[in-house]
Order: sequence, then structure tokens, then C-alpha cells
Amino acid sequence: MMNSMGRKLAIGETDNTSDQRTPRKRLRSIPNTVRESFVPVVPARAIHRQNEWDLTRIAPNRPRAEGSPIEVKGTLRNENGTLLRGALIEIWNANHHGRYRHVEDNSGLKIDENFLGMGRVITDECGSYCFRTISPGAYLARPDIGRWRPKHIHLSISCGTSRLVTQMYFPDEPNNASDPMAILMGDSFDRNLGQLFETKDVEIDQSYEFNIVVGGKNATFFE
Amino acid sequence: MPKKQQRNILLPTNEDTTGPYFPIYFSDESYEDLTQIHSGVVAGPKGQHIILRGRVLDRNGNLANGVLLEFWQANAKGIYRNPSFEDHPDLDPWFDGYGRLRSTTGEYSFRTILPGASPGRAPNITVTIFSDGINRIVTQIFFANQKANKTDPLLTTLDDEDRERLIARFDESSSDGTDFYTLDIVMAGDQETPFFEDFLS
Repeated sequence: MMNSMGRKLAIGETDNTSDQRTPRKRLRSIPNTVRESFVPVVPARAIHRQNEWDLTRIAPNRPRAEGSPIEVKGTLRNENGTLLRGALIEIWNANHHGRYRHVEDNSGLKIDENFLGMGRVITDECGSYCFRTISPGAYLARPDIGRWRPKHIHLSISCGTSRLVTQMYFPDEPNNASDPMAILMGDSFDRNLGQLFETKDVEIDQSYEFNIVVGGKNATFFE
Repeated sequence: MPKKQQRNILLPTNEDTTGPYFPIYFSDESYEDLTQIHSGVVAGPKGQHIILRGRVLDRNGNLANGVLLEFWQANAKGIYRNPSFEDHPDLDPWFDGYGRLRSTTGEYSFRTILPGASPGRAPNITVTIFSDGINRIVTQIFFANQKANKTDPLLTTLDDEDRERLIARFDESSSDGTDFYTLDIVMAGDQETPFFEDFLS
């Protein structure tokens, strides 16, 4: 029966939202004749502002936000190895204290007046990207059981038929091991880790390489 | 050498949840209303204006707050703006077919045009849900009173109950000629909406 073919999505342990929102039935198969209709093409008319690659400041002439300034750079490809040029990468991360500047973040953690925590960049002709931000704070996601969300940066990638929402994590963080989504990734969690590398840039404390591969058939469907 | 082996197959970065705080700051009104190219421009695509609306519900029947919804559809003539239809004469210059909106409450309302039937299909809109607690999930929404629903090659893979869960009901026409369709999307539980495997298939 073709409906037995799809993945059964796993529920993140200790994640109440995951329990409430994860479909219980196996994903259904898509007949080949209609497969193409399941491939959205995001139009190439991304909005971004010039200074949005640098989240360490609200604007170039403003003071630097609290915490440790870092740089994240890498390449963007699909599974075939094709470089994704002109892709929109939307970035958001919590501030040094673990607070998002989002109207629905009611954590009460400290807002940093000099940190917006949202930015957008476009990959260049080599499929490369680079942005700066403040190293995000970890925050207590489940006070009742003492589970923290490890430091992470959210990334949303849109480029034609390539679409990915993911998170970059940091190596050697104690909270990585107990994160429900990291646990579901198993050994492949390593692919979601930024890798430290040497930098001589005095403006930043640490530089991370994070090479992104957009997986799945949609990303390569028309190649 | 087979074509497959010539390819440089890379291991994908894992998908992850959007978390609860996808920035509202990234919203773009022109993706939330596909009946106009921009609120300040007198230009829009051909087709019947519709509003597709409903609730996104969790396993307990509660609204799934903070979901990010993306829509993908053909134009009024059933043509998608994808590489297969490049330079097709029936492409509509005012219609790309991609929409995106974030719902604070879990209720959604998407203004667009009724998609035409692409060859062999019933009119439908592909919906992608990004949310806290899950990775991307995908389905297609159909429209009541379309004859082709009975023969659509996707709908006919489903049993009667599941098929009904993908067909938006027609509610009313407003005085300005907009047709309202409603469908609740149930992410999990007894009334679960059928979702489809588009990652591995």
C-alpha cells in the first residue's frame, strides 16, 4: 500500500509542543504524476536591509550589544552540490540573556536595547554567506524539569525550490545532549554544529563555519 | 556511469523547528494577499478572488499559535510559475503563486485567487506548515463543489474521511464578489489532516 511509504515523524522528548503538534500518522505517499505540484518556487524578490548582516549593532553607528560578538560564515548548497546563489537567509537569535525581541516572548529575561536579534543576508555569486551576531544565551525551556534550550541560531533559507528552516548549535555545549530536537537528529546532529575556526578579525570573539546543505527532493527537483 | 553516481550527493543539514518566535518583522504583505501585486498599484492577477481561512489545531483541539504557513498554487489557468512552465503563454505576469503568513493565534486567512485546474488535477493549494515542536509538514487543500475532486490522483489515494479533511467548504460570497472557503488543519489526533512525504519521495 503506497500510504505506508512516508516517514513517521518522531516526537521530541520533554517537548510539550512537539507532543501536541506532531502528526501521529505516517506521512502519505505522493503519486508520481502529482509530485511536481508539491514543489513551491519562492520568487526571487527578497527584502533585506543593507546593515542586516551585522546583528551586533542596531545600526552601524550605534553601540555594540551586550555579550560576545561572533561571526558565522559558510556555503549554501543543495544535495547535488549545486551552489545556491542569491538565496535569502533569514536569521534570528536570542540576546546574551536568552531573550528574543519578539512581542510574544514573555520570559521576562532582560532586553538589550542595542540588540534586535533579527537579520537577513543574501548568498553571493559563490553561494557563500556571512553574518555577525551576539553569541545567544541559553534559556530555561522547562523550569519544572530544569531543561535548558542550548545556545542556537535560527536560520530560514529560501531559494527557488530550496527551502529549509533549521538551527545552528554550538560545539561542546552541555545542554546540547538534552535538547529534544538534537536528540531526534542522532549522530547527524554534528551537521547542525557551527565549527570554530581561527580569525584575526578584532571586531569579533569567535568565528564559526556553518556549511548548509538543503536536503530533500524539492531542492533538486528541476535540476 | 548512471546519472545518479555522477552527482555529488551531500548529507543534508537537519531540518529543525522554527520555535515559537519566527520574526513577525520578516512579514511581507505582498505574500499575504496574492490578489494584488501591491496595495498601491492598480494591477492584479486574473481569477476569482477567494479567502481561504480556518484554524490550525493541535492534538487537543487548541489553536496552534505562532505557526508559519506557506502557500503554493497555480494561477487561474492552472499554470505554475515553475521551470516546467517557463515562458508558457498562460503565465500571469501578476501572479507568482507563493504566499506566506505567520499566524499569531493559529487562525489563518489567506487572500488569493482560486487556482485553475492543472492538467489531470482538481484545483488545489499546497500548504506548508512550520511550527514550534515540529519540522516542516506539507499537504494540499482542495475546494468544495469541484467536479475534478472525484478523480484527482492525490485525493483518490485517500479514504473518504481523509479526503473530506482536505476539501475546504464553501461558506459565502461577499458583496465585493470574494468567495470564502474554510478548512481547519488538524496537526495531530483523531481528526488529523493527512500530510504528505515530499522529502524522500
